[in-house]
Amino acid sequence: MSGHHPHAAPRCSGTQTGANTWRTLRRAISIPACALLLGAWCVDDADRPTILAMADAGQLDDAERAARAGGAPLATTLGDVLVLRGQLRAADSAYEAAISGNAPLQRVADVGRAELSARRGDLADALARAQRLTVAYERSSGDWTAEERVAAGRAYVLLGLRDARTARQALAAFDAAWAADRTLFDSQVRAGELLLEKYNAPDAKSSFEQILTLNATHPRALLGLARVQEFEGSADAMATVRKSLAANPALTPAHTMLARLHLEAEAYDSADVAVNRALAVDSSAMEAWALRAASAWFVGDSAKFEHSRAKATALHPRPAAFYATLAESAVRHRRYEEGVRWATQAVTLDSSSVRALGVLGTNQLRTGAMEEGRVTLERAFAIDPFNLWHKNTLDLLDQMKGFSVIERGRFRLVVSPEDAALMELYLLPMLEEAYDTLAVRYAWKPDRPVRFEIFRRHADFSVRSVGLTGLGALGVSFGDVLAMDAPSAREPGSFNWGSTAWHELAHTFTLGSSEHRVPRWLSEGLSVLEERRARDGWGAQASVEFLAAYKAGMLRPVSTLNDGFVRPRYPAEVQFSYYLASLVSEMIEQEFGATSLPAMMRAYREGLESPAVFARVLKMSGEALDTKFAAYMQKRFGQALAAVEAGEGPGDVRGPFVTAMREGVAHLEADRKREAQQSFEKAQSLWPEQRSATGPAWYLARLALERADTTTALSQLALITRAQETALAANTLEAALLEARGNDKALMAALERIIWMAPYDAELHAKLAEAAARTGAHAIAVRERRAVLAIGPSDPLEARYQLALALAKAGDVPGARREVLGMLETAPGFEKAQALLLQLRAGTPPEEAP
Amino acid sequence: MAPVAGVGMMQYLRVSCVRSVVRCAAINSALVMALHAGASAAHAQQQHALIITGLGGEAAYRDAFFGIAVLLHDVAKDKWNVADSSLIVLAEDAARDAKRFDGRATKETVSEAFLKLSRRAKPGDVVFVFLHGHGSGQGAESRVNLSGADPSAADYATWLSGFTQQTVVFVNAASASGDFSRILAGPGRVILTATKSSVERNDTRFATYFARGLSSGEADTNKDSKVSVLEAFSYAQREVAREYETDNRMLTEHALLSDSSLAATVAFGGRSVSSDPRVAALVAERQALESQVAALRARKDSMTAAAYETELERLLIAIAEKTQAIRAAGGSPP
Repeated sequence: MSGHHPHAAPRCSGTQTGANTWRTLRRAISIPACALLLGAWCVDDADRPTILAMADAGQLDDAERAARAGGAPLATTLGDVLVLRGQLRAADSAYEAAISGNAPLQRVADVGRAELSARRGDLADALARAQRLTVAYERSSGDWTAEERVAAGRAYVLLGLRDARTARQALAAFDAAWAADRTLFDSQVRAGELLLEKYNAPDAKSSFEQILTLNATHPRALLGLARVQEFEGSADAMATVRKSLAANPALTPAHTMLARLHLEAEAYDSADVAVNRALAVDSSAMEAWALRAASAWFVGDSAKFEHSRAKATALHPRPAAFYATLAESAVRHRRYEEGVRWATQAVTLDSSSVRALGVLGTNQLRTGAMEEGRVTLERAFAIDPFNLWHKNTLDLLDQMKGFSVIERGRFRLVVSPEDAALMELYLLPMLEEAYDTLAVRYAWKPDRPVRFEIFRRHADFSVRSVGLTGLGALGVSFGDVLAMDAPSAREPGSFNWGSTAWHELAHTFTLGSSEHRVPRWLSEGLSVLEERRARDGWGAQASVEFLAAYKAGMLRPVSTLNDGFVRPRYPAEVQFSYYLASLVSEMIEQEFGATSLPAMMRAYREGLESPAVFARVLKMSGEALDTKFAAYMQKRFGQALAAVEAGEGPGDVRGPFVTAMREGVAHLEADRKREAQQSFEKAQSLWPEQRSATGPAWYLARLALERADTTTALSQLALITRAQETALAANTLEAALLEARGNDKALMAALERIIWMAPYDAELHAKLAEAAARTGAHAIAVRERRAVLAIGPSDPLEARYQLALALAKAGDVPGARREVLGMLETAPGFEKAQALLLQLRAGTPPEEAP
Repeated sequence: MAPVAGVGMMQYLRVSCVRSVVRCAAINSALVMALHAGASAAHAQQQHALIITGLGGEAAYRDAFFGIAVLLHDVAKDKWNVADSSLIVLAEDAARDAKRFDGRATKETVSEAFLKLSRRAKPGDVVFVFLHGHGSGQGAESRVNLSGADPSAADYATWLSGFTQQTVVFVNAASASGDFSRILAGPGRVILTATKSSVERNDTRFATYFARGLSSGEADTNKDSKVSVLEAFSYAQREVAREYETDNRMLTEHALLSDSSLAATVAFGGRSVSSDPRVAALVAERQALESQVAALRARKDSMTAAAYETELERLLIAIAEKTQAIRAAGGSPP
């Protein structure tokens, strides 16, 4: 590019100099302000950069008028503006005129025509045009202007529809354009968009941020950044896309993104508003019609759905993208089977659409069609080997070939061989219990075995769930296909794998009984509630931070609680919302009866939205329910709420309880134990139900132990261990004290609780087996001896001998004999086993040989 | 210099050795070498142990090396019944336990210890060398830090070169010990290293578990009251991996074993053989029954499950009864 002259020439000369000046100017001031000025002064005499800046500011009427006023030299520009307005035929004519009239930027016009061909389904024409352009570019790229280089990049992007490898060339062309003209932001926006499309969010972000450094309100860069944020799971995406729309109210893709975010939040009305705004600008926007159809489908408006589908088909005779969007929307609402159906239609219409194949394959896997899913993803990966999701998932599927599959009636457990025996011992019986409980509660049963996958590495679980690593969750439920972290996937005591499994299975029943229409807040709330009901101490409990946030109004009312999950305003809001939703569920059951929750599931299944469900089942409005729940919270946590309050920043908590705790800790650190004791006792009196593993009970237990007062220590520890599902230290200490006291029954309970936090300690299982044997609980002793073997003990033969002995004591002589023969077969000299064999044969009471 | 003297002695021994006989015995799995000092004249095979622990550098390592040296000393003395004159322990601070330790571990004392053992070891005996500390280097220059000059792998090779009539079990449990395997490997030798190469330089856990396997009986996978080198190695390897996995750390030590066939035949511990002919006869009968179990297992695939199980149970009960009879006669099973 020739040099720019920032200090010369008037802004609206219509000359090249004017254009240069404009480019320089738009680096310095925001586009909307600039376009406003220019639009007012010189619409009828604008050059291409000026017109494109108007378009970037959403002033499409002015931009079109200016382009038309410019006549043949601005034919390409007119085509560009008409594309943004959805006037595709007119745009095509403008481009054609530019080419036939030998107007400037013919290559830009040519790629514009190619893109239009692709949009209307004429892929052959699109690819042929793109091919011609790229051949020419490769022959003489040095002569191409920056805009023409962008055109070449766009042509490579089109070729990427059939050959993903061209993405690199596209990026190179965009970068070459940027190198040639640092004011041509379009090149970097397109590079960022392509990078994000190819799953390179960090580089995409850099591209967008580079532009935003030069122009903080660049609408497309803001939109790109919003997409990156969405990709990265940031809660800022919504705010950023709104900024983009503030800069350009006519930016159709920003409207559609906003609509999609609203849809994800199950805010159908808001989604419709955004879609309508998109379509008002560009009625040819396939994505907008698809989202409109999705919204209509969710609320059961078949007329609107069919109208949208007809519009989509008019735009493209084989609208695979329309169905792919429908599929993605369905999946985001946890309606995986329907997602598979829509995606199948998309693939039928375009068998080479990576997007359609991807959503189909991923959700085939989520619905348990493992082989079909693999085949579909392999097809997708063959077309686009850049796709990280598909690669990760296919790698994981390869790895899962070595997994053990345990089929047991209503469950199919898929687990790594190292964990198989342990999971079979513990998880399956618990799942059976949970199944029976939940089937009664929700009056519904899955019509096929529930598939439960367990992963030893959290990264594998994450890939199984979302195709990428980094998912923060412990488990996931796709209905009757569940996945979760194995206990080994996280630090011992960092989560309770029993309650996690129960939680996920509860989703199977709430999703199933509502045909996957239950909103997320209620499904999660019920799962947490079911955890609490399953075992003492399982499930979330009220924390200081939760109550402080509630008191400060930082949590949503029931009527908008879903936003706490899908649109959190601060990182902890999701976690708080889980617990809050469980309290709402608990209140509904208490206040409206046990049948109210299954009745709500049925109402959702019929397609009702939450306000209608509240009205039908609870006989009240959402607002009334909000009021009722507020009263419930005050009644339940009144004393605690008086003892805590939110501080100034996130996680900053205050109030009399917090003050007493802090004083207690300070006294302890200064070795003033009596004063510390008083402070912790005061804290406990301020909030007696507080059972945190780091709360007053823990300190009071430790202080009691220092006085050798094990009775008090045990009573304080019990407060924690009966209420906190991951209190490993408290349970371990309690178990040690109980063992020393010889209280076998309480010891067994403590050890059982520990096993649901940290099951891989063979010594722990052996200890439980011994306690069980002492109390005559032989079945438990046998299970624990099997658990020792499942873990892979240091001395396998000794462990096997102990199992045989436990079996014999439990009266399972054939089982014991089988074990003994198995041992002696490989180790005939094992004297203890020999003795047991003779005891079994003689029918004498089995006793361990010295 | 001590190494030269040592070599000279070995040369003398080599003249009188019948190495091929030792080797044949070693690879015959039916003739497991139970090494016990209380063996009868017919089982005159002796074992000799040299335990060397190097400089700790800091208190935690000094304590760890000390603990391992003490444990192995006690195992050799109490479980394997190694004669005092055949048991040499060299450590960083010999004064810390003068009853157990024979001196400071230096290049000179190590050389002298090899010389001493070479004079005592008879053809067919087993020489157990355990070396632990902080290792480094590469190839023949690999070393373990001792006080003063550190002997190299080449030095150890020289010191071992004459033990050709004996079976040598050499353990280097130090970091970066892997190259010792290549330098020291040879017929009649089992070389164990804590790492697969000199590149694995992090502190190792192998020694702890190897010593525990030898001492606790946990490594005795077939419960024959003897721990073979292979059993001890496998136990240590497994437990090291378990520790790393439990701690969620990447495994940075991969132990090597040079000759698993020979390692399976060299065992430590076991019970003394009774001189009572009645007991000896019962022991022989039991051994015959055990051979029948082995033969039965070999035929397993050609039998029905029921027939196999019936015959197996019959033999196992007979073995169990024979054990009871041995005990009743005041003996102990082999």
